Amino acid sequence: MTAPAILPVRGPGDRFTALIWRQPRVLLALMLGPPLIWLGVVYLGALIALLWQSFYSIDEFSGLVVPEFTLKTYAELLRPQNFDIFLRTVSMAALVSLASGVLAFPIAYFAARHARGRWKAAFYLGVMLPLWSSYLVKVYAWKLILAKEGIVTWAAEATHTTAALEGLLALPAIGGNSLSTSYIGTFLVFVYVWMPYMILPMQAALERVPTSMLEAAADLGATRGQIFRTVILPLALPGIIAGSIFTFSLTLGDYIIPQIIGTSKTFIGMAVYQFQGTAGNVPLAAAFAMIPIVIMLIYLAIARRMGAFDAL
Amino acid sequence: MLSDRASPGLKLAAGAGLAFLHLPILLIFLYAFTTEEKSYAFPPPGLTTQWFGIAWNREDIWPPLILSLQVAAIATVLALILGTLAAGAMARSRFFGQNQIALLLILPIALPGVVTGIALRSAFSMLDIPYSTWTIILGHATFCIVIVFNNAVARMRRLSGAILEASADLGANAFQTFRHILLPNLGTALLAGGMLAFALSFDEVIVTTFTAGQQSTLPIWMLEELVRPHQRPVTNVVAIVVFLVTVIPILLAYRLTIRGTEIAGGGK
Amino acid sequence: MTLAVEFQKVSRHFGQVKAVDRVDLAIAEGAFFAMLGPSGSGKTTCLRLISGFETPTSGTIRIMGEDVSRTPPHLRNVNTVFQDYALFPHMNVRDNVAYGLMVKGVDKRSRLDRAEELLAQVKLAGYGDRKPGQLSGGQRQRVALARALINEPRVLLLDEPLGALDLKLREAMQDELKALQKRLGITFVFVTHDQNEALSMADSLAVFSEGRIAQIGTPADIYDRPATRFVADFVGSSNVLPPGLTRALGGPAAWASLRPEATRLSAAGPVTGTVTALRYQGAGTRVLLTLQGTDIAAFVPAGQPLPEPGSTIGIAFDPAALHVMEGA
Repeated sequence: MTAPAILPVRGPGDRFTALIWRQPRVLLALMLGPPLIWLGVVYLGALIALLWQSFYSIDEFSGLVVPEFTLKTYAELLRPQNFDIFLRTVSMAALVSLASGVLAFPIAYFAARHARGRWKAAFYLGVMLPLWSSYLVKVYAWKLILAKEGIVTWAAEATHTTAALEGLLALPAIGGNSLSTSYIGTFLVFVYVWMPYMILPMQAALERVPTSMLEAAADLGATRGQIFRTVILPLALPGIIAGSIFTFSLTLGDYIIPQIIGTSKTFIGMAVYQFQGTAGNVPLAAAFAMIPIVIMLIYLAIARRMGAFDAL
Repeated sequence: MLSDRASPGLKLAAGAGLAFLHLPILLIFLYAFTTEEKSYAFPPPGLTTQWFGIAWNREDIWPPLILSLQVAAIATVLALILGTLAAGAMARSRFFGQNQIALLLILPIALPGVVTGIALRSAFSMLDIPYSTWTIILGHATFCIVIVFNNAVARMRRLSGAILEASADLGANAFQTFRHILLPNLGTALLAGGMLAFALSFDEVIVTTFTAGQQSTLPIWMLEELVRPHQRPVTNVVAIVVFLVTVIPILLAYRLTIRGTEIAGGGK
Repeated sequence: MTLAVEFQKVSRHFGQVKAVDRVDLAIAEGAFFAMLGPSGSGKTTCLRLISGFETPTSGTIRIMGEDVSRTPPHLRNVNTVFQDYALFPHMNVRDNVAYGLMVKGVDKRSRLDRAEELLAQVKLAGYGDRKPGQLSGGQRQRVALARALINEPRVLLLDEPLGALDLKLREAMQDELKALQKRLGITFVFVTHDQNEALSMADSLAVFSEGRIAQIGTPADIYDRPATRFVADFVGSSNVLPPGLTRALGGPAAWASLRPEATRLSAAGPVTGTVTALRYQGAGTRVLLTLQGTDIAAFVPAGQPLPEPGSTIGIAFDPAALHVMEGA
């Protein structure tokens, strides 16, 4: 046995390995550098540019952007027609999140607690596919469904419930000429498109609730309803909040669904799109875009405190 | 009492929920064969396959399709590199500012797409950057990073750190360990992340409308047809193509991570 | 005599935690050396300092006389059998074993042949094509051993190598490891929290406590003459006598240890107490009794009369068997 205790260095690969062994921070910096530079420059840089522009204003006569620092543009957000946009969007986002939560719960609960083996896989795929498949195609499908001559009208005729459908459409504020031109339609499509984002984190959270805990609650005499309220719901809460991050945020910023399905009333996303585009009022568009950013940062901060990030 | 059997009500609600998620998509397939050209009448008055041929010969569909494929391919490669590096850093060590970096990674998908879009657009206009394929890619890669990151970091956390030490112990340097141990064990997760990133980029429309300028990707083409329909059944055919181009990678990604709830979290 | 491993005032601190604190250690070449201690005592950190996965905060580590304090793991001619074996899940058994030669650039033919030889040595000939997931715990352990030996290391490190095996297999493997070490003549350093394993396998051992070595010596040294109460307690089976009791039994007023085998029951003992329990063992019976509030075990060979539980009795012993400990 004459082999040395220290093997010879074979080349730059070995020297590099020795370097990162002595200075583990070097490896960390090399790995973290490129993604951080990308996100820092491209993403944060762009967000800062946006913030910057929101403090500019537009000259009312020439229609040109005045590159001077002012809060005038933010003040414009408080005008009644702009404030309405804010209220309309936020209440829609809240309703959509709530409805997604309610509709998602049975699916998530069944998949987490009852589905086994092949069924579990089928459920998982059954949620994954609609989640990841094309957004536009899904919106388009609903245009077909809700159109005046489409499948819903046909189904109502076939089941002799046309009167009920017309009654629904006759409702003030949320009704309309057809489902595809009413708030009900917008709401339905939002729920459809974003609900899968609620199911997966909810299911993950429910899977972490040990069965023994439910049995203990039942053993102590809790009814099904009590178990749900006092054990399942609190433990599933981080998952529900994690899911609502997506449903809320995605509804808050969407400008395509309300444009294609619904009344022509403006949502925040549409306002951003229209002000920067046809109106050429980039400062106001930027100020509008700050609303979802601020709301989501607060939302994320609360979600983080409630442990929702573990459920993501 | 609790039982392992689901109550009929729960079964019904879960089944109805899943049906709600799937039936609308099936409808697209039906409409691609309708003989009715001017409206979305249901049931279709007749069925035909002529629209597939017509769509194939439409000159205006091919350039957007090719552009979308190009953008998705390049954005996926960038996201794979950046997302894997970030996962490597975040999975194995603890450092100051780690939580803030996790937030930064998730922000492009946690904030609405319209914010990313307008932010990039105002940055481009401030810096006088002309719109090109690369401006689209810049946006797409940004929100694809987290998709790859989520897949890679989940696998890395599950991977026993001891096998990396075992490799070094047996004389492998960092590059050998990466090539012979880390990459083979990470491979399927990266492939899955890449597929999902591809599907996401191929389909993206919200950010793209802000970063594309006059260029048209396939989703932008579709959006225009939605707002101002010319030939509705052709749009249906394109919708099927878009659906398949996104669904096939998803199914492959699912197969690759069959054990895992790995592609769960992240979302778009 | 060359030292296989030498620590000079080696410390490894993690912030405020002194995982290893100013440890001096010398392991002779060709030794079968055990590092024994409860979890968190620093024994595993010491092993990782030898393999290079931890770097010393201060002090010098030498392997075969060479200072390796600044040498990364992949350049140390030392190999490890990991606690959970850490076999590469994506490679078959043969490629796992040949890995060390592959990364050295040895051609495929020779390295696979050599891997087969080693597999035969650990009695796994014919298992080369299997994946680690298809093997039993004991088989995986042998693969890990073969894999660690293929580079012919100067020192082989074993981290709780038998911890995951069931009792019967563990005893068989103890003998096999011992025989293998004799045959190869390589220095083996193994970490364990199981005192029986350490005492029965090692030529010499170090007992760790709170980042320091409490005692270092042969199994007989440690067993018969524990240096501190901690060692006597941890190595177990020895009675630990507080100063008052030692004195009452005829010794100095100091902590002492007394092996049960060296005692016999005596109705007229200087101190008497109550028998609390009898434990039957193969070669005799352990009699547990309480003397001045201290639990004491005495050993009665098979065939001799046993006291009734609850009866009062004392102990007697040869004064030479009483071992007074320096450290309190």
